[in-house]
Amino acid sequence: MGAAGSKLEKALGDQFPEGERYFGFENFGNTCYCNSVLQALYFCVPFREQLLEYYTSNKSVADAEENLMTCLADLFSQISSQKKKTGVIAPKRFVQRLKKQNELFRSYMHQDAHEFLNYLLNEVVDILEKEAKATKTEHETSSSSSPEKIANGPKAPLANGVHKEPIVTWVHNIFQGILTNETRCLRCETVTARDETFLDLSLDIEQNSSITSCLKNFSSTETLHAEDKFFCDKCCSLQEAQKRMKIKKPPHILVIHLKRFKYIEQLGRYKKLSYRVVFPLELKLSNTVEPYADIEYSLFAVVVHVGSGPNHGHYVSLVKSHNHWLFFDDENVEMIEESAVQTFFGSSQEYSSNTDHGYILFYESLTPTK
Amino acid sequence: MMNNTSNGMISAPSSSSATANTQSPGIKTYFKTPEGKYKLHYEKTHPSGLLHYTHGKTVTQVTIAHLKEKPAPSTPTGTSSSSSASSGFRSATARLLGGGNGNRALSFVGSNGGSKNVNTNARIGASFTASSSSTSTTSTNFDGKGSYLVFNVGDAIFISDLNSQDKDPVKSIHISNSNPMCHAFQPDAKDGHDLLIGLNTGDVYTVSLRQQLQDVGKKLVSAQHYNKDGCVNNSSCTSIAWVPGGDGTFIVAHADGNLYVYEKNKEGATDSTFSAIRDPTQFSVDKAKYSKSNPVARWHIGQGSVNCISFSNDGAYLATVGRDGYLRIFDFSTQKLVCGVKSYYGALLCCAWSMDGKYLLTGGEDDLVQVWSMEDRKVVAWGEGHNSWVSGVAFDSYWSSPNSDGSGDNVMYRFGSVGQDTQLLLWDLEMDEIVVPLRRPPGGSPTYSTGSQSAHWDNIVPMGTLQPAPCMRDVPKLSPVVAHRVHTEPLSGLIFTQESVITACREGQIKIWTRPDTESSSCSETNPTTSKLSLASKVGGSS
Repeated sequence: MGAAGSKLEKALGDQFPEGERYFGFENFGNTCYCNSVLQALYFCVPFREQLLEYYTSNKSVADAEENLMTCLADLFSQISSQKKKTGVIAPKRFVQRLKKQNELFRSYMHQDAHEFLNYLLNEVVDILEKEAKATKTEHETSSSSSPEKIANGPKAPLANGVHKEPIVTWVHNIFQGILTNETRCLRCETVTARDETFLDLSLDIEQNSSITSCLKNFSSTETLHAEDKFFCDKCCSLQEAQKRMKIKKPPHILVIHLKRFKYIEQLGRYKKLSYRVVFPLELKLSNTVEPYADIEYSLFAVVVHVGSGPNHGHYVSLVKSHNHWLFFDDENVEMIEESAVQTFFGSSQEYSSNTDHGYILFYESLTPTK
Repeated sequence: MMNNTSNGMISAPSSSSATANTQSPGIKTYFKTPEGKYKLHYEKTHPSGLLHYTHGKTVTQVTIAHLKEKPAPSTPTGTSSSSSASSGFRSATARLLGGGNGNRALSFVGSNGGSKNVNTNARIGASFTASSSSTSTTSTNFDGKGSYLVFNVGDAIFISDLNSQDKDPVKSIHISNSNPMCHAFQPDAKDGHDLLIGLNTGDVYTVSLRQQLQDVGKKLVSAQHYNKDGCVNNSSCTSIAWVPGGDGTFIVAHADGNLYVYEKNKEGATDSTFSAIRDPTQFSVDKAKYSKSNPVARWHIGQGSVNCISFSNDGAYLATVGRDGYLRIFDFSTQKLVCGVKSYYGALLCCAWSMDGKYLLTGGEDDLVQVWSMEDRKVVAWGEGHNSWVSGVAFDSYWSSPNSDGSGDNVMYRFGSVGQDTQLLLWDLEMDEIVVPLRRPPGGSPTYSTGSQSAHWDNIVPMGTLQPAPCMRDVPKLSPVVAHRVHTEPLSGLIFTQESVITACREGQIKIWTRPDTESSSCSETNPTTSKLSLASKVGGSS
């Protein structure tokens, strides 16, 4: 392993970024889903910085009570403070905590990386919200100065059922975007807009398509009719309507999940779609509301599912750090060419020897979104 | 918070035509356009044994090559009898419209090209049976004429007779230990070396196509070898082109952002050396240190791969597109950047000139077909309709506008594009239909009478500057006249010929679609409104 590390160091030579660390993660039996996502999050610089800042400012508190977030912060800090530039780390405490806390991840079964990312980010949000609330009650100044609020924010109840203005945590500032669901009643032409927040977008995919095209389909107009009519408040009745989903506020970090695992009714089980879905290294969103048109994103991480079926296989990740692309496969870290990213698009034939497919894409906004 | 449920809810019924296409294995053998039906005539491919070995390693490019009657003419013929619109394929350059920057009359591309080529057509038709039989039986002493398709798959170059029904190539050439990536043909090349081949190792060959056809072996014969083992540049060749009228000068583009200029007729085969690139972010041209060597010059275009190069028909301008998303247009003789623009986003993959040199098409990773006007120095239209990256573009120089009544003001162009979505799209561009979009006051209702024009249309751009990507609302949108799924694999190239449209997919299948019967198709029935450039920003060509 030391040899592998030095090989990467040699490959980077004097281009090795100052202060950066590239560490592989040990696999504790089917924990590649976790390793691949953690690498992507570690190289999501705003997330890493916030988490390390949290770690430094809460060191004493963290000692008192361990949770998934403190374990993650601990792991990130462990990587960033390594003396060596490359090597392998065992994310043991984090994985133990994860298994302890959620029985879904306890087994040695193959897990879904997107489900894990989803769970992890929501866990961190919950912890931050609880802490914010605790400080709030401590200070007893619940109204004016404390955490900023999003106008038009979600009305969704929080996990513990408290119906209050949502607290905006740094996780929200990094990953959260707002979708607006515009429904136009075909009778009275009234447009009803309903906003909802998202931390990632899950897109349906088609064979030989692009992310651009998947995003367009995501926002394409849908007609609600027959069984599916829309209750129009103005008409006070069920009416045919046209519905369209647009991005009202694009997130700073755009996480796109490709729905590669599809339930096939005839088979009664999930099937992996190996479709070729090309993703550009730069992206703009076509489905935004006006002031946010033409915002450019740059790809910085890809979680790749390797294998032909949904219940087995392997996860690896591709990460862009300081303009170099790196390939993380559990404990192994290698440098790759930028052009190698396109070998993870998928296959235009159903049965192909190429089973390494981009599954979760991480794009960072190059234009300030605030 | 993760929005799984809502996503699932809305995105389920969104896919329409594309899904239907991918589920049906059969591909229609014809497609309808306003001018009539294009029919699948025949297919060309490589021997099937090769398929799995090469899968995904290389991307097939196609070059069309018209061989003339006499072997290796040493006296230059007056005009090029063959012509084809060159595009993502580098094809034999037609010089029908010579000057290119001519008057209005010259801009009737379709009719002009068409009438000039009537006799060419007849000749090709006549040679049909003769050439196919001669190549299949007595190819060893082949010295006739004919039209050929040259294409690369894996480590091989294949040559197919364009006019025979035979699916298999008439000739296979294997290059040991490396893969051909690009090629180009020049019918008027002196001393018979008319075919250029660029490899993934950076090596370049010039050969005589006729000599390859005459030889029975599976190797290149009598090849001139440049940049041996990549000694000058070892990054992959990406695109190669003869300089039109350049008397044996050709250009090779590489994946590391450099172009090299070679002079075939130069004495001495020593390899050139160049000084180090001073600033990799800047355009620079360097001459070789020694005069008796090849290549003679290096053009450093910028950072990232140069994906495609294309000369205007008169050879005056060289267009390049690449990884950095920029279309750049150079004055070839002065070696100066004239103008350029960035893609909406992502790399650009292909480019092609109109016959009159007034417009340039590009296609790339933003799924858009971009139309650049040399006169306006602006992007004048974005074609929306591909569901994936655009990998090949070409003007149809043989197409005659249904309303080319000589009024002069109604210039119309037909062009095509192919994409990784497996679709061929045809487009009409009618310049007097272009509506300049007006800037909408923020938050206000759209107004077309008041409000100032957007900066995209106002600015006078100084010579030699690269423009940033235009904004979505500033560029008029085009919708395709027709969209047809032509292969099951992502496409890589497109050529228009007098008789047909030729499409190629990445894996090396080629299809030849014959144009509508001119007699049976009545142009009067066409409805021009369907094909006009409009502001309608309909998505994905959903009709």
